[in-house]
Amino acid sequence: MSARITASDRFRRIVSIIPWIAERDGPTIDEVCTRFEIDRADLLADLDVVFMVGIPPYTPDELIDVIIENDRVWITLGRYFTKPLRLTSQEALAVLAAGNGLLATSGSDPDGPLARALAKLQRAAGLDDSGSLGISLGGVDATRLELLQRATSEHLQVDIDHYSYGSDQNQVRRIDPYRVYATDGNWYVMGWCHLAAAERVFRIDRIRAATLTEVGFSPPTEIPDATSYTGSPTDRRVMIEVSDRARWITDQYPVESATPLGDGRLRIVLSVGGDAWLERLLLRLGPTARVVDPLDDGVDPAVGPLMSRSEVDQIMSSIAQRMLAVYR
Amino acid sequence: MSKLERLLNLTALLLNTERPLRVDQIEQMMEGYPSDPASFRRTFERDKDDLREMGIPVEVINTDAHDQTMLGYRILPERYYLADPQLDPDELAAMRLALGAIRLEGIAANETMRKLGGSPDAAGLTDSSSMALASVPAPPELAPLYNSITERRRATFMYNGAERVIEPHRLDYQRGRWYLDGFDHLRQDRRSFRLDRIDGPITMGEPGAFEPPERTAGQRYDPWRYGDDPPVTARLRIDPSQAPLSRDLVGSEATWTDCADGSAEVEMVVSNRSAFRTFVLGFLEHAEILEPQELRDDMVAWITECVA
Repeated sequence: MSARITASDRFRRIVSIIPWIAERDGPTIDEVCTRFEIDRADLLADLDVVFMVGIPPYTPDELIDVIIENDRVWITLGRYFTKPLRLTSQEALAVLAAGNGLLATSGSDPDGPLARALAKLQRAAGLDDSGSLGISLGGVDATRLELLQRATSEHLQVDIDHYSYGSDQNQVRRIDPYRVYATDGNWYVMGWCHLAAAERVFRIDRIRAATLTEVGFSPPTEIPDATSYTGSPTDRRVMIEVSDRARWITDQYPVESATPLGDGRLRIVLSVGGDAWLERLLLRLGPTARVVDPLDDGVDPAVGPLMSRSEVDQIMSSIAQRMLAVYR
Repeated sequence: MSKLERLLNLTALLLNTERPLRVDQIEQMMEGYPSDPASFRRTFERDKDDLREMGIPVEVINTDAHDQTMLGYRILPERYYLADPQLDPDELAAMRLALGAIRLEGIAANETMRKLGGSPDAAGLTDSSSMALASVPAPPELAPLYNSITERRRATFMYNGAERVIEPHRLDYQRGRWYLDGFDHLRQDRRSFRLDRIDGPITMGEPGAFEPPERTAGQRYDPWRYGDDPPVTARLRIDPSQAPLSRDLVGSEATWTDCADGSAEVEMVVSNRSAFRTFVLGFLEHAEILEPQELRDDMVAWITECVA
């Protein structure tokens, strides 16, 4: 038996399995297990419970009739459990989100089996079909996405020409792609980067060109969770003070720590993805943000090494000059 | 008798009954409940809550026209049962792949698949190498708002410090966020709302309270369009190093022109200036606001102030 499953979990499973078996003429135990993705032992335990279910006065003729014979199972029902339970609104949402999301991803067939399945479900399950749920996983070039997905499933190395947001540079690198995913409105490929000799995550819309090689690789046994950013232990760190209005950065940036100062301001520590990354962050925050200097501002040394204000100032005055030159 | 067995028997009883059953009738008819009345009542209430949590429509109906306290319970088959969608094996398989690829957080895809019937051949498609392509967050406001769209109920909630009464039309997930689009009675106009900015609970009105709009097209929630500043058309030049990567960033409403030197000129309507500034700053020195002069000046002033 699988571990830690609740009475509710089993209830949901059983009320879906019962009508399915009842509608068929003795499916094999294996067929039921395959269709419901369930172990043989779990299924037999569930059927043991179904034997005992019925309506008052719970005499044998009022109980659900279950027959298991020659590895096949028959169920005869009264006027209850004849069909599965309707979809909950959460489930209906999940179906629409998955269906609409995949159909909206470039390269999918608008008249294919998925579109037909959704149309049938909209009729049968009362799913809303007015197009009132839109899912956009992120803009991405369909050919590039397909190439990376193929490389991921066939374990082939890929050469990518990638624009690094952190360093504002283009670089060609070879990667072992082992995961392609969308999160927070962008598509990513995660893999081993031969240039950095480390695991890296790349935004697919920042890949300028990708070439599939014929060189294979072995993916790691444990593939990390989908994430939009991977820091590196060698990243520099910076402490800044922001006003209450800039609290959004704690949602959108990988903030190491955030300490309220009491006056509505917040001191945060961030790991710096690169000069260009820091430039964008501070330019966007604007004059309301202040860089905290580890020495001048007497920061507790326990916080660990931080960039000094003069170091940050130098980076910022250089980018400001370059940008102002554009407008001259 | 196990809890599982009791829940199944209670559901069978309430589905099978022709008329609503009072609690005392249920106590009398059913087996497996504690005999002491107080603990029977507690256990029954808990079971009822568990069933409702699983989406089972346990209804409370008044059984006596003269006595408002005479309540009975039943489950209406037409509200419980899912009509068989009659999915062909390839359709079931496609649905299964979709539910595996794009997950709504907190919803078990296999529960949904189990309800969809179909032939056993459609299974066995579980490809061990296929992992979720995307996980879409499901904030607590999502399901109630979806219900209010399908049932045409008005939704009332606090937003930006004011109470809004909305006829909800559509939900969109874009750029990693959920948005609600609908008719706002306070503003007497169509408005969009970010779900993560809805403050506190949402109250639903009666079903069928409004006529649904014509099929609403999805709109792009471009941050620079998402505000109340007087709209201006801005012209932006993106240099050759960034232009090839930027087409999707500017949104489908923008006018994009490729220039001979590999750069691009983009015209976009801006009604949120600070969001536009944030967007342009993302290009660092690889983009320039060409027009209007006002936005150019704003940008120069902002950069100058940043390093002052």
